[in-house]
Amino acid sequence: MLLTKNISLFRADKIIFENINLSIGSGKILGLKGKNGSGKTSLIKTILCILEPTSGSIFWKGKNIEKNLYDFYNNVTYIADKTSSLKQLTINENIKIWKNIFLSKINNDQIEKILQTLKLDSYKNKKTNILSLGETKKLELLRLIIENKKIWILDEPFTNLDSEAIDVIKQTFEDHCKKEGSIIFSSHQNVQINTTEDLLL
Amino acid sequence: MFIFLKKIFYFFYREFKVNISGFHDILTNITFFFISIFIFIFSIGPQDKILSVMGVSILWTLLLLSSTLSLTKFYRDDFDTGNLIILHLNGFSFEFIAILKTISHFIYVQVPFIISIPIACVLINIPMEKVYSLLISFAIGSFILSCLGSISSSMNLLNKRNYLLGSVIVMILSIPVIIFSVGIINTEENFISLINVLFGILLIIFAINPWATGACLKIALQNN
Repeated sequence: MLLTKNISLFRADKIIFENINLSIGSGKILGLKGKNGSGKTSLIKTILCILEPTSGSIFWKGKNIEKNLYDFYNNVTYIADKTSSLKQLTINENIKIWKNIFLSKINNDQIEKILQTLKLDSYKNKKTNILSLGETKKLELLRLIIENKKIWILDEPFTNLDSEAIDVIKQTFEDHCKKEGSIIFSSHQNVQINTTEDLLL
Repeated sequence: MFIFLKKIFYFFYREFKVNISGFHDILTNITFFFISIFIFIFSIGPQDKILSVMGVSILWTLLLLSSTLSLTKFYRDDFDTGNLIILHLNGFSFEFIAILKTISHFIYVQVPFIISIPIACVLINIPMEKVYSLLISFAIGSFILSCLGSISSSMNLLNKRNYLLGSVIVMILSIPVIIFSVGIINTEENFISLINVLFGILLIIFAINPWATGACLKIALQNN
């Protein structure tokens, strides 16, 4: 489905990454591992076509991604290492906006169940600025289910999460792969995930 | 088509929620506007004739300064939180985001000023027959300022050191807007032709805005 051929990125004469070849198909998990500053986020942004590779090409469903960009975007959910929920709004309001902007078909009962699993249900009518870093991250990860797309691209998804929440995320990853979805995630932590392939940067 | 409209509707709903929760910002802008009017009144003194002659120019200058106060937040929050990327990945091109954000800036920042103009006119002793033309000129002119604000605040994202640069650019580019807007109010013969010129400027800036802003947003995200 998604293929990169010898992609390299140089910025201000510095090599961020060089000659990266990746391929990810249905039901696979790709882990991008590496220390801080090793180029994981830049590689993710390059795959998302936010950064332009200095050399090499990216292909989506066999076509150059630039010619097929909006089809790719229709199939991808990106969870950045930042918080995209609006701090001025409550959890419920954020979810309502996401559901409608992302044209999600998920119903309120499903959301209620997930909020309970993530232990966010007691805060659902509270503004997100009172949430801890871990709770904010969990809310962010809820977007994966709301958007309900095939490819999940996550930048440092386990940061600030406790072991219980990490287990929930691991289970969610496995369930997504069973539904023929694909996942690319970056991490500098030693979280044990059954990845199909790891790339050390 | 319905899906597309639904997405736009919820984009504006999102902007509404953000602006209402940050209502103190709108209130601060309006307060700045009225306090500045009082400062002018006190500095000129109780001379009705001078005030009514200079009033329109004072109002326009203060409206320009007040609306530049809101420019720092135009794209900054969505840029810092990564929402620009998320919206982009969900079918909102940068150009389209620019159009929607400009319209929402006009609605949530400029419309409160338009509503407060009649009160300001009473304070500065502007004749009531001029209020109507002032409202028309500001309705068009403020939309031009929103477009210019969109361009300059997206340029601000490229410049991490100097946040005032965008406001300076808006001020320079808004000189023609002020010339024609004040001209509309003070003229008796060329009213329609000056309105047409101002509307022409609006159409040109509105056409340039998405491309210029879109390009700046794209470069800013690449440099981030």
